[in-house]
Amino acid sequence: MSNNIERSDNVATPTVAEDGDPTPAAEAVKASAASGLPKRTPQYSGLHWIGRAAVFVIPLAYVYLRVLGNTGVVGEGWSNAGLGLLADAIIIAIAVMGVNLITGFTGQLSIGHAAFFALGAYTGLALTDGRVATPFFGEDNIWTAGWTIPVAAVLCFVIGCVVGLPALRLKGIYLALTTLVFVEATRSVLKYQEFEGVTGGSTGIKGDKYTPPPWAEAIGLDGRGDLNEWFIYLSLALLLLIMLLVAGLLRSRIGRSMIATRDNELAAEVMGVNLSVVKSVVFGLSGAITGVGGALFGLKLGLVNGDVPLFGLIGAVTLLVAMVVGGAAQVWGPLVGAVFYVFVNERARSVGAAPGDFDVDFQILLVITVAVIVIFVGRYVAKNLERIKTNTSNEALRAAAIVVGSLILIYVLQGMLLGIGSGRKLDGLGGVVFGVLLVLFARFAPFGAVGSFRLARNRIVQVVPKPPIGATVVPLPPSTERPEAGSAHDDEAEADSSNAAGHVDDQTSPSS
Amino acid sequence: MSLFIQRMFDGLAEGSIYALLALALVVVFRSTGQLNFAQGEIGMLCAFFASTLTLSGIPVWLAILIAMAIGFVIAALIERVVVRPIEERNPGAVIVALIGVFLAVNQLSAMFWGVDARSLPSLFPTDADSFFRIGGAAIRYERVGIIGVLAVMLVLLYLLFNKTKIGLAMRAVANNQESSNLVGIRVGNILILGWGLAGAIGALAALMLAPSAALSGTLMLGPFLLASVAAVLGGLDSPVGAVIGGILIGLLKAFLIGYVDFLADMLFPVMLVVLLAVLLFRPSGLFGTEKVVRV
Repeated sequence: MSNNIERSDNVATPTVAEDGDPTPAAEAVKASAASGLPKRTPQYSGLHWIGRAAVFVIPLAYVYLRVLGNTGVVGEGWSNAGLGLLADAIIIAIAVMGVNLITGFTGQLSIGHAAFFALGAYTGLALTDGRVATPFFGEDNIWTAGWTIPVAAVLCFVIGCVVGLPALRLKGIYLALTTLVFVEATRSVLKYQEFEGVTGGSTGIKGDKYTPPPWAEAIGLDGRGDLNEWFIYLSLALLLLIMLLVAGLLRSRIGRSMIATRDNELAAEVMGVNLSVVKSVVFGLSGAITGVGGALFGLKLGLVNGDVPLFGLIGAVTLLVAMVVGGAAQVWGPLVGAVFYVFVNERARSVGAAPGDFDVDFQILLVITVAVIVIFVGRYVAKNLERIKTNTSNEALRAAAIVVGSLILIYVLQGMLLGIGSGRKLDGLGGVVFGVLLVLFARFAPFGAVGSFRLARNRIVQVVPKPPIGATVVPLPPSTERPEAGSAHDDEAEADSSNAAGHVDDQTSPSS
Repeated sequence: MSLFIQRMFDGLAEGSIYALLALALVVVFRSTGQLNFAQGEIGMLCAFFASTLTLSGIPVWLAILIAMAIGFVIAALIERVVVRPIEERNPGAVIVALIGVFLAVNQLSAMFWGVDARSLPSLFPTDADSFFRIGGAAIRYERVGIIGVLAVMLVLLYLLFNKTKIGLAMRAVANNQESSNLVGIRVGNILILGWGLAGAIGALAALMLAPSAALSGTLMLGPFLLASVAAVLGGLDSPVGAVIGGILIGLLKAFLIGYVDFLADMLFPVMLVVLLAVLLFRPSGLFGTEKVVRV
């Protein structure tokens, strides 16, 4: 299914290397050395394969043995709580599919999809809730839950396209920041008291949970208490449908345009990709997918308000975590990442509730930490033996820094243990783990779990580092630092900067 | 009129906090070209440290200095341990990593200090009668103090950047890392110093904000976004722009809440509009350097 997709990466890249770089090769090499970009394509040894496969296998093994075991999912069949978590995982996977479409495949880092998630959830409940919907549709025309999902998708598509339009010109940190502000802005609008009739204002909407339609009960998919099989099958069906759609989209003209845009905007534009159309439509599509996830989330919860954590900044980061851990630009990535996120988060929440509960996890963590430190120290010493001999004082300083860092680390771990000892719940543990994971993945496994696994099987070709044209950014001489009057100058500068940004950020593609 | 003056001082004081935070963002941007998403959270963590220190009997001013030092160390560590190794291999992933740091640092506070809000005593008198009057408006000493802190910080930074050799080196690195390297500046150390400095400034912003707000994990989420908008408004590579942008945003917020009833709760939508307007029509901000790029 996906062989084609990866091959397209492969095809696009040499084109980039040849056509995208007008500067002579020698200059490019010089610039690359200066800007600290990778100087060669990494070659993967057997050990590397094992390492990358481990990135995939260890978390899954951990989730299976420790997390699912502890939440009562594995062993005694699916418990109520386990099924609820499974539904959460599927819903978040859908939401992350949306993020992945714009960030993983199109290369536009969006942290703003929590806003679409919130919009979808509000749509789902606003249309089904009598108090909110009656004034608009009349008493007898309250929507059935199932039909709110496409409405949420359409609404989020429209909003996504509108937001995508200005986002066209923003790149990198500017786009990330704008999307982050977009999350808070959406939350403000949803909580706005004047819109109480639609959104319930600051109290939000307390509606009904999803009840299965009559025909579902007839074929035996009725809800049993909290444990709503119908809902899970519906979510799963939607997830599979979206995965199929995305996989198909990637093979279509627009999908190829997305990947080309991600790999090198300038080259894509030269080859006839209409950047504005592609970016804004894809932003809309990704918003719609996340909105579907949001609608399911709202219908599962039966309660939305502006203070739901997933609708805010933390939710914004959550979606990113699930995407990066699972694998950016991987069709299966969001599912893996969301399952990992939901179950590990649940595990982290219960840590410290019972004394001694974390012991095994802590030992595993300790073993991994020690192993990693030993490997790194060994590699460092082997690589820098000469330097250590000749530059002892500097190396001593470095060693001291590492010792201090390790002491802080031990203090942190000890603090965690003490917290468990006193029976206090470690509230932020999950967040800390995910934050650290995000850093580690950005550094060591930019393709995420799925990507690393497939890299190990040689099904992905590492995207060749692009010529660092961005390295030639030349600031104007100091005399022109002050803004100058005259619109002509401004236009010129704007045109230049919009051209420039294409290069500055074109390294985003494989990772973000 | 008195109400206007009152609101103006509120805006100036709050703007000073945003200005400090924006200044920290600018210092980082100038040295590494990154927006430090964890900037606000580092400050928040430092405020928690300061709160713990004052509880154990250490005077407030000393606690603030120690917390700033902690902020320096944390930010410097982030540069060395997170940003640089990733930038060498995969520059595009730095944003993702910084967002990871944002999440981790944010949640660390909940892990160590729990989720209940704490309080941090102010450096300035906060009694009910510690204010003076200008044109009928009651101006609290605390507000003037915050503005004063910003002014002192600005003078110190000006002296550092323009009168010392280290400052010269920092400006050189911000201007051109390659050439700086060639003339013998240790670029790596300067980058660490720049991040550390930003960490300390950001910590100061949080320490100024914490006494008048509840000290919790959400302390710096809003201010960070506002300060980022301020930094972009002023021009991400311009310290002067950061200060003016911060104060403008502070005034905008105060007057919005004070005078435009229907927008009082709509601060972030307004900020989104401001941000988009700046980025689309004047991407280099009010005082930023316009970039020319050889294609």
